[in-house]
Amino acid sequence: MHEVSIALGLLEFAAEYCKREGYKGIEAITVKIGKASGVMPEALHFAFEAVKVGTIAEKACLNIDEVPVSGFCSNCNKSFTVKQTYVLSCPICGKSSFRIETGQELNICEMEVF
Amino acid sequence: MKVKVVAQILEANDRIAAENKKLFKESGVYVINLMSAPGAGKTSLIERTIKELYKKLRIAVIEGDIAGTDDAQRIESLGIPAVQINTGGACHLDANMINEAIADVPLKDIDLLIIENVGNLVCPAEFKVGEDMKIMILSITEGDDKPLKYPLMFQESSALILNKIDLLPHINADLAKIKNNSLSLNPSLKIFEVSCKTGEGISEWTSWLQSLVA
Repeated sequence: MHEVSIALGLLEFAAEYCKREGYKGIEAITVKIGKASGVMPEALHFAFEAVKVGTIAEKACLNIDEVPVSGFCSNCNKSFTVKQTYVLSCPICGKSSFRIETGQELNICEMEVF
Repeated sequence: MKVKVVAQILEANDRIAAENKKLFKESGVYVINLMSAPGAGKTSLIERTIKELYKKLRIAVIEGDIAGTDDAQRIESLGIPAVQINTGGACHLDANMINEAIADVPLKDIDLLIIENVGNLVCPAEFKVGEDMKIMILSITEGDDKPLKYPLMFQESSALILNKIDLLPHINADLAKIKNNSLSLNPSLKIFEVSCKTGEGISEWTSWLQSLVA
């Protein structure tokens, strides 16, 4: 349900950016969404389509790069990537001496503007 | 034309949250953001906390609900200033809603502001509001599978309050499993076992909270 707020935040940033830089419109926005960020890509697509109407991004399409949860374990000195949204122990050695490196992203990384 | 931008989607929210936090800090007010599923006992815990701490700390409460003023009335009946935010459908509080509510909070006259978020185990974890600390409640009747089903809130919170502990003999929830999985998600999580009904465990929680505010 909070994907609407996320979509509004995204549009607010994009509109301010275009105003500041002197662009007239947006054709595409690319975002990185971490798998553990709590945001569902389908719901964000749906919310974006609804809230973009009447804005500078009215004709824009939203590209979502999903980022998996990954981490680095200092015990086995290796990086790992998992399919779940959380990690309880290093999937290689089973110890808890790891840090999460990706998966929480909620970032805008590219826009196509004119 | 393609342009590279590097920004947090919630940048606007985070910026307002930082403004709120600055204002709270300047006023000497410690702020907690209390989150849980509906019915876990947020308002009951606030009532218990007020009864335990009102002689030691000056407290105010912001109540976030989709609709209604029941919670703010419960708090005001204890003689504590309460501001009700009705989100009108939004499933969480955000920094801007708190920013607008601050004007009605007597910041100069309080030590502790408790923000009761909208009942929801997912979305509130995503939005900073300017708090010093996020606290969550899980009532044990919700089931011992919740930490792994809703990991984000457990990861974002500094303390986990396990409420309705008096019901443990009557249900199948495995308390050790809840605690172990929560700590695996967040090793620094502080856990309290309480019953807002009987009062069990409340003083441990309020002593800890008081030590942070003072």
